[in-house]
Amino acid sequence: MKVFKAFEYRRGSTILHRIDPRSKLVYLILFASLTVYFTKPLALFIIFLSFLPMVYVGKISTRWKQSLRGSLFFIAFIFIFNFVPTAYYSGNLLDAAVSAIAMSLRFLNLISVFSIFFLTTSPEDLTQSMVQLKIPYDYALTFNMAMRFVPTLSREAQYIMDAQRSRGLEMEKGNFVSRIRNYIPILIPLIISSFRRAELVADAMESRAFGASKKRTSLHLLRMGRNDLLFVLAATGSALALFVLNVLL
Amino acid sequence: MISIEGVTYSYGDGINALDGIDLEVKNSELLAIVGENGAGKTTLVKHLNGLLKPQRGRVMVEGIDTKETTVATLAKKVGLVFQNPDHMLFAETVEKELSFALTNFGLPPEEIARRVEWALIEFRLSNYRDRSPFTLSGGEKKRVSLASVLCYDPQIIVLDEPTTGQDSLQKTRLASTLTKLNRQGKTVVVVTHDIEFVADFIPRVVVMSRGKIIADGPTEEILVRKDVMEASSILPPQLAELSWKLGLESPSIKAEIIIEEIKQMLRGGQK
Repeated sequence: MKVFKAFEYRRGSTILHRIDPRSKLVYLILFASLTVYFTKPLALFIIFLSFLPMVYVGKISTRWKQSLRGSLFFIAFIFIFNFVPTAYYSGNLLDAAVSAIAMSLRFLNLISVFSIFFLTTSPEDLTQSMVQLKIPYDYALTFNMAMRFVPTLSREAQYIMDAQRSRGLEMEKGNFVSRIRNYIPILIPLIISSFRRAELVADAMESRAFGASKKRTSLHLLRMGRNDLLFVLAATGSALALFVLNVLL
Repeated sequence: MISIEGVTYSYGDGINALDGIDLEVKNSELLAIVGENGAGKTTLVKHLNGLLKPQRGRVMVEGIDTKETTVATLAKKVGLVFQNPDHMLFAETVEKELSFALTNFGLPPEEIARRVEWALIEFRLSNYRDRSPFTLSGGEKKRVSLASVLCYDPQIIVLDEPTTGQDSLQKTRLASTLTKLNRQGKTVVVVTHDIEFVADFIPRVVVMSRGKIIADGPTEEILVRKDVMEASSILPPQLAELSWKLGLESPSIKAEIIIEEIKQMLRGGQK
């Protein structure tokens, strides 16, 4: 469940926290696209290295590392499921290893770039920037709340696991199929309580007059400043450089 | 027999949720653990079946060190029922819900059927046998969650907040079930905020505050100690409060004793 740490925003005052969310969104889209587009492990690794200064400047290294450690399992999973079939069908171990490493790095990069974005962007700012990008408020809020409930959900999953293990459930017992079946007693309570919580939240919002006025106005408007534009320029510039580098490699 | 020696546990936020806990629970004891929110009660009971392992110190359950065994092994001896039944219930019917733990422990089918039957009757759930647990009321769900653990007959029974959402009749029934199981030789540990429930039914009480045990002893002695009640932010039993206000020499939580003392005062006039 550590992987959820990737999305737990805490208030901060570094330059990265203060950059306009829309500028960071440009960065996110550019680097996520590059990650998906690149196939060479070295190029993907260079992208990964480019995240290090961002993490340092944003002072988010602890939670970023936690989220990477939490995703190790998935990375191992991705590596094995790419390596084994490719090696089996092509018979070329080196090629298989290269493509499996590329896939794993790709996942690592995606986790990192989303993590950098969400760890340095406050949910309120994110909603506000979506609204200013002309996304309807209801959708912006829905997205924001989905993010907000990720840590709650992971805590709840932990409670449920404790309760079912106390009733003798052994998660790691049995073959592949029965291991998946072992998750049923965890997932059903989790899903049902999520629905119930959604209803509660809806009731709570309505009792506080959500949606009473058709036209919403904001107290604080986000404004693109010099730093925000510079950030977009720098992000675009380095993305272009990486693109050229990938062709040359 | 449970023995907890110098147990310390922290969730990694710099605060010790448990801060040097020493506690011994003998076989077939009936005791309550009380204390303010965040005192560490739930953290402590999670140590009893190995869900949490002590970071310092040692927890021994029936002579087994919890660090050296699995939750599934300990769960057979220690039945732990959590506060919120919604974290447990998942099966299609109440009957299947009750047989979940029994199946996990690999009991033979006849034995499972017999124990499910016992639990349905003991917790007055027979009418709901084929109902989905999700369609039950809060109090009924709570009873299903209690039944689903008690049905496999653990030697040690640990209940976290069993009285929440129960009316006074159900509370009395719960108390009589617990007392009955206790007389049959079970060890029963109840974690609760419901101080009147403790005062009425439970002979030994352990008071926790900020990860420490601040008092431990017979209920009628501990619950009338003003200092302990205040230190742990517990609303004292009404009879204890009455005794304090009357200025009784020996405050009590038993109505009969207080009545006797008042009679004495009236007969003797102003002392």
